[in-house]
Amino acid sequence: MSRDSAAAPGVRIRGLTVVYKTPAGELPAVSGVDLTLAPGTITGVVGESGSGKSTLALSLLNAVQPPGRISAGSVEIDGLGDVLALGGEELRRARGRKVGYVFQAAQNSLNPLKTIGKQLLDLGRSHDVDDLRELVRDAKGLLARMGLDGARVLDSHQHELSGGMRQRVGIMLALVLNAQVVVLDEPTTALDMITQATILRIIREVHEERALTTLVITHDVGAVAEVADSLAVMYGGRVVEHGPIAEVLGGPRHPYTQGLIRAIPRLSGDISLARALPGRPPTLGTLPVAGCVFRERCDRRMEICDTVEPEPVTHDGRTVSCHATGRPSPAVKRREYA
Amino acid sequence: MTVTVLPPGAGEVAAGTTRAALRRNFWRGVWRVLCRKPSRMAGVVIVVGFAVMGVVGPLLYPANLPRDDNALYAAPSLQHPFGTDFEGTDVLALVVTGARYVLLTGLATAVITVALGTAIGLFAGFRRGGWDTALMRLTDLNLAIPGLPLLLVLSTVWKFTSPLSMGLVLGLLGWGGVARAVRSQTLSLRERGFIEAARGLGLPTTHIIGRELLPSMAPYIAMNMLIAVTGAVYAQVGLFFLGVLPFDANNWGVMLNLAVFSGGALTTPAALPYLLAPLIAILLLTLGIVLIVDAMDEIFNPRLREE
Amino acid sequence: MTRAVRERPQGAAIARRVAGHIGRGLVMIWVVATISFFIIREIPGDPVQGMYETLLQKGMSPDQAERATAVLYGFLPTGSLWHQYVDYMWSLLHLDLGQSLSTPGVKVTSLIGSAAQWTVLPVLAGTLLSFLLGVTMGVYAAIKRSGKLGDLLALSGSLLHGVPVYVIGLLLTAIFTTLWPILPAGGPVDVAYVPGFNAGYIGSLVYHAVLPVATYTLASYGGWILAMKSNVVAVLGDDFILAAELRGLRRGFVFRYLARNAILPLFTILALSIGMLFGGSIFIEEIFNYPGLGLLLVNSISTRDYALMGGAFLVITVGIVVANIVADLLYTAIDPRVRSGETA
Repeated sequence: MSRDSAAAPGVRIRGLTVVYKTPAGELPAVSGVDLTLAPGTITGVVGESGSGKSTLALSLLNAVQPPGRISAGSVEIDGLGDVLALGGEELRRARGRKVGYVFQAAQNSLNPLKTIGKQLLDLGRSHDVDDLRELVRDAKGLLARMGLDGARVLDSHQHELSGGMRQRVGIMLALVLNAQVVVLDEPTTALDMITQATILRIIREVHEERALTTLVITHDVGAVAEVADSLAVMYGGRVVEHGPIAEVLGGPRHPYTQGLIRAIPRLSGDISLARALPGRPPTLGTLPVAGCVFRERCDRRMEICDTVEPEPVTHDGRTVSCHATGRPSPAVKRREYA
Repeated sequence: MTVTVLPPGAGEVAAGTTRAALRRNFWRGVWRVLCRKPSRMAGVVIVVGFAVMGVVGPLLYPANLPRDDNALYAAPSLQHPFGTDFEGTDVLALVVTGARYVLLTGLATAVITVALGTAIGLFAGFRRGGWDTALMRLTDLNLAIPGLPLLLVLSTVWKFTSPLSMGLVLGLLGWGGVARAVRSQTLSLRERGFIEAARGLGLPTTHIIGRELLPSMAPYIAMNMLIAVTGAVYAQVGLFFLGVLPFDANNWGVMLNLAVFSGGALTTPAALPYLLAPLIAILLLTLGIVLIVDAMDEIFNPRLREE
Repeated sequence: MTRAVRERPQGAAIARRVAGHIGRGLVMIWVVATISFFIIREIPGDPVQGMYETLLQKGMSPDQAERATAVLYGFLPTGSLWHQYVDYMWSLLHLDLGQSLSTPGVKVTSLIGSAAQWTVLPVLAGTLLSFLLGVTMGVYAAIKRSGKLGDLLALSGSLLHGVPVYVIGLLLTAIFTTLWPILPAGGPVDVAYVPGFNAGYIGSLVYHAVLPVATYTLASYGGWILAMKSNVVAVLGDDFILAAELRGLRRGFVFRYLARNAILPLFTILALSIGMLFGGSIFIEEIFNYPGLGLLLVNSISTRDYALMGGAFLVITVGIVVANIVADLLYTAIDPRVRSGETA
């Protein structure tokens, strides 16, 4: 396998705003997100459904689906430039070749009428791969790497594969063109526990072998804790906290992150200690226009939160958007989580 | 020529106490859906207009329509908006008086189709097992047998003199689609634990079928009934048009037959209005029913509602 | 979990499907044959008995008259009902449908054979044309579904789907032969030409086929456009289309994925459509005076040619059964899920 650029590319998202057209006007699903994916790291993005994390993932390929629209910002990828400025053929070629995208397992990301091998060839032809035989060889190698019989899988239709197998095929298709930025959208949702663990292990190993820059989107904090180097927490279309994963999970600073971690039930210990976050996750329509988006559910709400949106503040490599951090705070219990 | 609306998923069944309130909301919803697209209102107006025509139309004219020997195939005028036929009879009067037979047959067919189809579909879906298999084989057969050729052959034995006997035959030939739709609806309700839950509450079978299953299926049954009306209208007008039935009554199909095969409407423009009048009547009726079915589809299919 | 790729017992699954279809088809043909047997016997004044008695009056011996009647109708005029029925079925098994009464001395099978081409070819042409037209327009209506044009296409589909075939035929005739006479009003071909492989004859055939084929096409076009539109809308929402775009597949590939997945379910309606057109042939051939099976059936009824009537009815039914089997085989050939016995 040729590895022309050994160094993994970095990804810088700046001021990204995505709006959705609704009967009530254009509402932001992602607003002003800044996020840097350090080269060669795995960044996890967690958040409740509706927090804008999937929209963020699609933005990396400039693929937000209507009625959504990217209204501002940039996504700079080393060696590719601003993805949001790309269009037409340039954008199509970047997808798949530079940035690989892996879909949620349960949803079917494969054409049910064609064998995996034929879809692989379609992919190769779309990206002007000269040596299709080598492409097939690479694909078989990747599948074998993930514990599958490559020849048989390529000869199968989607309905002949289990959920875990399909997910591995999805990962293979995202990597086979040597994409160095990989986005995984809910990679383990709807898989059983053992398959989840296998897929997570594969993600970690392949990431290290191939020097990738990886973004994992999930609502499962436990899953992301196993693979990610850094963690970004999204709420109401904003990244409210971002930092090295052990530090974010071990010492969460944003009240939402603290609530999120409190809400995780532990296998050992008293289940009553797990406390659900009060209130409901916001939807596009119920998001406050001014001030902090989390204030309605926050236990440290202050006057300023109603009017001024907190700016992200970076300190010791950790970024937090909250007026209350830095001030004396009630001690967060159960810091032992890691 | 049977078309059947398949249920896109089961509707909700109202709990007893809230039923009246739901019904009120339902009519408000119907009104809203009708208002959103004026064409749907037009559909209702057209169909109501035809119904009125069928009921009072024949009363507006003398039993024997007047003839005017001086105005054979007269061109359309104020006195005769669609001209006259080969005997000098007003074509509009023929269309209006002919509506009763056509619509009555349609109604009879629809009632029989829906009653038979619902009963068979419910029974098959409710009992399952051997009964289900047997009844569905029968349904397949009913769907597969070509209706029109069979009708033609049957016309040599039966003369279909009254609209009701005509409706009976058409209904017996056309229940397959409704039966299949109702069965799949019943099975999907069963799959969601509807029937078991009702059984668990100790409700008798008649109650489960009458109060729980049927109301949730009523929309599809109603839509299929409307479609059955159009099917029946086409079939009988077609039979009269082909001339295999005795021309006892005044009827749109008889008009078509006489216009084409005796009047030479296809060769001389003079008889054209005589041909076009019943065709326009059929087209209008179709349009009205298509528009209403479209509106019903939106009322009863929540996936289409908010868009 | 890491379940091995399943074996694909393709041959056996297909054979089972075909066998099932043929079995059901045979049952249907048997039912239809039985119906036509009883109808011919039940016709007021029993034509079989009538013929037998007429021949007796003409001075034939009972034996001769019995044999002559049996030749005409395919079953004996005397004997028990059961005996007659078995006799009729036995003749059917030998493809003997009796002789025509209106054209004496001609076998029903040969009349049907020469009429069949005038029905089968236009029905196939109409099916193919309406399929291509409806599928193309359906894709277009789905892509433009929020615009005025999409609405218009869908409404035209619903209307054409709802209108009976004879209305379409009569309107086309009124427009193109009476108001604006550019096409022939009826008949299969201009009698002035010598039948054979010459430009004049073939040209005349095509010229006369325009209106019937157009009627067949319009009659089933509405169904195709409606079905295709809803299929395309459904597939557009499927994840694999977005996934293909995100993998950077060329537009051509994405469109092919979309089209193939949307067209596939249409094959289940194909049989229905062909059946509808076979039934519609009765009207179309009557309107355009086209000498096919439908016209044969209508004429046999008005001339009281009951042997011919039974035969034509049976053959139209067989045509529909065969169309059913062919449509399902096409479907099986294209859908890998059915092929491997997944939903069989």
